Amino acid sequence: MFIGELQRYVTRLQNPNNVSFLIQKVCPMSLANISVHQVVKNYHKDRIEIPVLNGLDLTIPAGQFSVLMGPSGSGKSTLLHLIGGLDRPTSGTIQVGDFNLDRMSDSELTRWRSRHVGFIFQMYHLIPVLTAAENVELPLLLFSMSSHERKQRVATALQVVGLTDRMDHRPNQLSGGQEQRVAIARAIVTDPDVILADEPTGDLDAKTSEEILNLLNILNKEFGKTILLVTHDPRAAAHGQRILHLDKGILSQEKEAVCVT
Amino acid sequence: MLYWIYLIRNLTRNIRRTLLTSAAVALPIVIFVLSTSVISALNSYLDNAAKQMRLIVTHKTSFINPLPSGYRYKIEALDPERKELTAVCGMHWLGGKVENDPRLLSTLAVDKDNLEACYPDYHFTQEEMDAWHRDRQAAILGPETAKQFGWKLGDRITITPSLPPYTPMEFHVISTAEHASDPVTSWIRLDYYFDALKEHGFHGDEWIGFFVIKCNSIAGLDHYRRAIDELFANYPDPTKTRDEKSFVNEFIAQQFNLPRNLAILASLTVFVAIMAAMNTMSMNIRDRINEVATMKSLGFSSRSVFVQILIESMMLCVSGGFVGALIPYGLFHWTPLGSMTIPVIQALDIPLLVCMKAVLIAVGIGILSALWPAWLGAKLNVVTALRYLE
Repeated sequence: MFIGELQRYVTRLQNPNNVSFLIQKVCPMSLANISVHQVVKNYHKDRIEIPVLNGLDLTIPAGQFSVLMGPSGSGKSTLLHLIGGLDRPTSGTIQVGDFNLDRMSDSELTRWRSRHVGFIFQMYHLIPVLTAAENVELPLLLFSMSSHERKQRVATALQVVGLTDRMDHRPNQLSGGQEQRVAIARAIVTDPDVILADEPTGDLDAKTSEEILNLLNILNKEFGKTILLVTHDPRAAAHGQRILHLDKGILSQEKEAVCVT
Repeated sequence: MLYWIYLIRNLTRNIRRTLLTSAAVALPIVIFVLSTSVISALNSYLDNAAKQMRLIVTHKTSFINPLPSGYRYKIEALDPERKELTAVCGMHWLGGKVENDPRLLSTLAVDKDNLEACYPDYHFTQEEMDAWHRDRQAAILGPETAKQFGWKLGDRITITPSLPPYTPMEFHVISTAEHASDPVTSWIRLDYYFDALKEHGFHGDEWIGFFVIKCNSIAGLDHYRRAIDELFANYPDPTKTRDEKSFVNEFIAQQFNLPRNLAILASLTVFVAIMAAMNTMSMNIRDRINEVATMKSLGFSSRSVFVQILIESMMLCVSGGFVGALIPYGLFHWTPLGSMTIPVIQALDIPLLVCMKAVLIAVGIGILSALWPAWLGAKLNVVTALRYLE
């Protein structure tokens, strides 16, 4: 379904008269509600326990574009990693869609992550020896699908991010914005329910940041992806439907963003 | 396919490091192949020597001290019916050189009568033996020596012995001993050598270098080994008798215990290769912590990361191992080095089996050197790695 939707979307993108649909909101297709209940996370450094999250409760409905803001060390990235199954909470439960993450083994969590979560990092983390297309194809190696199907998915994902002409370029031949687009294509190529973006515009100029955020908006609105964006930048935050403020491990403030339609 | 592309590109991302590591594996593999080939050649020679049930009688002090020629008859008298002690053959080392050629020959002057009886494993033909007995200047050449000097049956050759009389002596090639276990050593007749000594005013015919004794059984071998030494224990020139394998082993041991030292050398070089490869793989993975973390965040399991690092290391080491095995193999098969002779071992052969073993060892080096970095990669905490990098 995802590939079909993407291809229809790409067809429309290629028609300049259909630009208006970019801000057209469609029904969410993702089924992954995120539910964080009484989550505590402590780190240990030199035998000293450092509390990061203190009994945090949060629910993100499926298909919502949420933004998580807060000062450095407030626990934003930690929360993102916990929701993405990269880390485990000290106590509390995290449910993403039908999956209760704290009841899953490490290998189950790894497998779940490959199928349900797409990560976008501030520093892109592309593999420098692989081309853009190969970087995007990488997560598909974990799926049993034909090479043809993989290539098709890669081409579509790169079309969505507008980088078909850079498929064979290596990361060092791309600009920062282009690298981040490749990272986004890599995040969406497996058709995940949830996209977790950790300061994806932190290393980009304002114009490129805007392009990346627009792309995230499209993924949310056109394809109903549940997105959790961590950022320091209020302008980036304005793209979300909901802004969460985290300070000293406590979700101190919540407000609905103005939904641009 | 992409997986392999990734692995191969990882190897080419730092060409200099890859080449240096490959060389660090290749050079020890070269040493390994050469050392193992030498050991293998020695063992093959020694194994054959052990099968032939021959005893070597030398002077007790050192095998460079000669023994009285008359000992031959006293030894033969120990078994006059030749039930266990089949034959006694006196031998004298001559060495020798061909004029204007720096290569040293390995030539022995031997009793004409008992050569065939002592060396049935050489399978001399009746024609060869007839010529040997008929012609005082007969020479039986080691097949490798004949090949290297381009000598063939019927040739007249001139050799200058390294011992008195030190003058050129002419010989007639009557055999190139195709079945020789020692492919380099050539034999000439002792009586012709003694005559040459007399002709030039030397009196050496009452002394002989050593005796080779052929026995019929292991029990006979053991019995006469003791009996001969007991017989000459109180003589001015006491003897030391041992089987051919022990004699050659002893000779080699005097040459710095070659096999043991080569085995140690080979093990050490493999160990060095492991260290070098482990260092490179550790640096390699450390440089790519972000990639490992990214792969894991994408859903690649710890096991697949472990296997990936292991395969990468194996590819790196196998490329080095292959080059390391190919160099000596190529040098000794496709260049003039192949005809080089080495003392005791004579012609060094680089067996394909040793090369294949070396490549397998390179695979082992790859696995061993990658275990630690692969384990670190597999155990890498993604969150810690990402936090450290960002």
